[in-house]
Amino acid sequence: MILALVKEGDKLEFKNNVPIYLQVIEKIKQDIVSGKLKPGEKMLSSREYSNELGLNFNTIARVYKELEMEEIVFTKRGLGTFITESAEHISSLRYDMAKKQIAAFIKGMQQIGYTKEEMIRFIETENNYMERNE
Amino acid sequence: MSKLNLLQINDLTKKYYNKTALSNVSLNFEPGKIYGLLGPNGSGKTTLMKVVAGLHKQTSGNVLINDEELSYKTKAYVSYMPTENFMYDSFKVIDIVKFYNDMYKDFRIDYALNLINEININLNYKISNLSSGQVAKLKSVIALSRDASIYMLDEPLNGVDVLSRDAIMDIITKSNNENKVIIISTHLVSEIEKILDTVIFLKDGIVEVFGDAEELRQSRQLSVEGLYKEVFRNA
Amino acid sequence: MLKLIKLEFMRKSKFIAMTLITAVALNMYLITRGPAGSTMFLVLFPPALFVAYLIDIIKMYSEDINKKTGYMLFMTPNSGYKIISSKLFTAVLEGLAILLIYFIFILINGAYIIISTGAEVDYSQLISVVDRFISGNFGFSLGHVFVILLTALTLLIAFITTVYTAMTIRKSIFSEIKFGGLLSFIIFLLINWALSSASNKFFDIISPYYDSIGSGAAGGITPEKLAMGLLPMIAVSIIQAIVLTGFSGYLLEKKINL
Repeated sequence: MILALVKEGDKLEFKNNVPIYLQVIEKIKQDIVSGKLKPGEKMLSSREYSNELGLNFNTIARVYKELEMEEIVFTKRGLGTFITESAEHISSLRYDMAKKQIAAFIKGMQQIGYTKEEMIRFIETENNYMERNE
Repeated sequence: MSKLNLLQINDLTKKYYNKTALSNVSLNFEPGKIYGLLGPNGSGKTTLMKVVAGLHKQTSGNVLINDEELSYKTKAYVSYMPTENFMYDSFKVIDIVKFYNDMYKDFRIDYALNLINEININLNYKISNLSSGQVAKLKSVIALSRDASIYMLDEPLNGVDVLSRDAIMDIITKSNNENKVIIISTHLVSEIEKILDTVIFLKDGIVEVFGDAEELRQSRQLSVEGLYKEVFRNA
Repeated sequence: MLKLIKLEFMRKSKFIAMTLITAVALNMYLITRGPAGSTMFLVLFPPALFVAYLIDIIKMYSEDINKKTGYMLFMTPNSGYKIISSKLFTAVLEGLAILLIYFIFILINGAYIIISTGAEVDYSQLISVVDRFISGNFGFSLGHVFVILLTALTLLIAFITTVYTAMTIRKSIFSEIKFGGLLSFIIFLLINWALSSASNKFFDIISPYYDSIGSGAAGGITPEKLAMGLLPMIAVSIIQAIVLTGFSGYLLEKKINL
């Protein structure tokens, strides 16, 4: 049972001008999609997790509630809260996150004046460059 | 005991001869939440806490704790940490712990001794020999070692070094549960706001803002500190 | 209540220890000056302790009601009546303890003085030996000393309660007005004036009581007669102390502004 969003000893920093519970939700989603959190994995209780993040337990209770409404986690009475096992849910989550990234990217590049073709070419060259230098 | 409001402040007014510290303040505090009582110096935060703690008598209005009128008995449910240095200078830290253990039924002495150890304070040191930072930390620890219904911490991070502030905030969040109310008054809004459920802005003895911290962030797209600066820009 | 009294004694333990040590040291030094030194010690002890006691007892309350350290006590779930009564009880216990210690000093120094005249001392009868010696040489007995000092203690405590009341008024009903301090002091003077006028009137009214005791027959007043003569004064002081303490307690409960 691991939910190590946070390195031991380090504390996640939160922005104060965006609802904190949304930031925690975002982080959990990222970790699910990136594989840091496995499908079906048991999460820390909201109390334990809030202690780890240094947050109010109400905030984390809200996080867990939201995630459950979105069917990204589910609760088994008396046993705890678990990441969804549905590969479908996870990939649609992944898709939603990617879509947001793309939309932001396209908007940003358009503001700099790039055309669609230029964007695609740039992605290829930049991706190759990054792979070489890993 | 499920009460809608653990602490009810009804139409509270406190006048001193040359000013009005609180003006018809009405507030309800639900159990399970951490409240931030925010405002500049002289806004009435300390006065409000001192009235609830029974150290000052209100001019008018009333306060209900667990549906009981304020009296010396309700002091048993309230753990107040004043911003001032109030501990007996000649006492050693261990004497202060024993005092609290004697005077308050809900004092958790083992918990206190553990925390004092964690913050690296020697039990045999006299209060007068502690640094101001150590005194500040000790005050919070002692107040939070009581298993009270209502905690009121007046500037718990004042004088506390940056590294220890996280430790204090941790102790605060760990102290919270569905049966308690924690009220924190502070200037250091940006540091504390992430643990606040509800924020109350007090300006010249009047409640200017009362709301859920996350909702405020969502609707105003500001941090609590940002909103604070807006509201008190001209204070 | 016991916890509160224990707290008070704990807070003054250092002062008590230092006073005792000083007294013993002074006594030892003065004994080296012979019986005259010993006598001097016994004469100096009451006034010196009187002052020390007065300061200590006033300080015991003044520190709590005037300084922020008072929050320690006033945040506890104890009624104002209980808090101030604990101070009163502490004052009584402390005063009686000082009297007791003084008597021990009298016995010790008395024995020394008697021995230095060349006489033998039967230690199993120490009290009556010393008593006889004092009566023989000074015309009064230990009994007289005890009665007078006890009366002085009750008068002192009654006076202190007027100080307590004035300080309480200052931090309650006069806490939010201009010149609160000055007004409180004036009230203090008024209380003392009113109480002494009232008690004097009372003593006048009950003058038949004094007649009934009769003054000393040939030989002077016995300690018992002295006690009876001073009894009204003692009674008035006790009543005054209780009433004023009750009033201060009421103010602490209902009107406090620390």
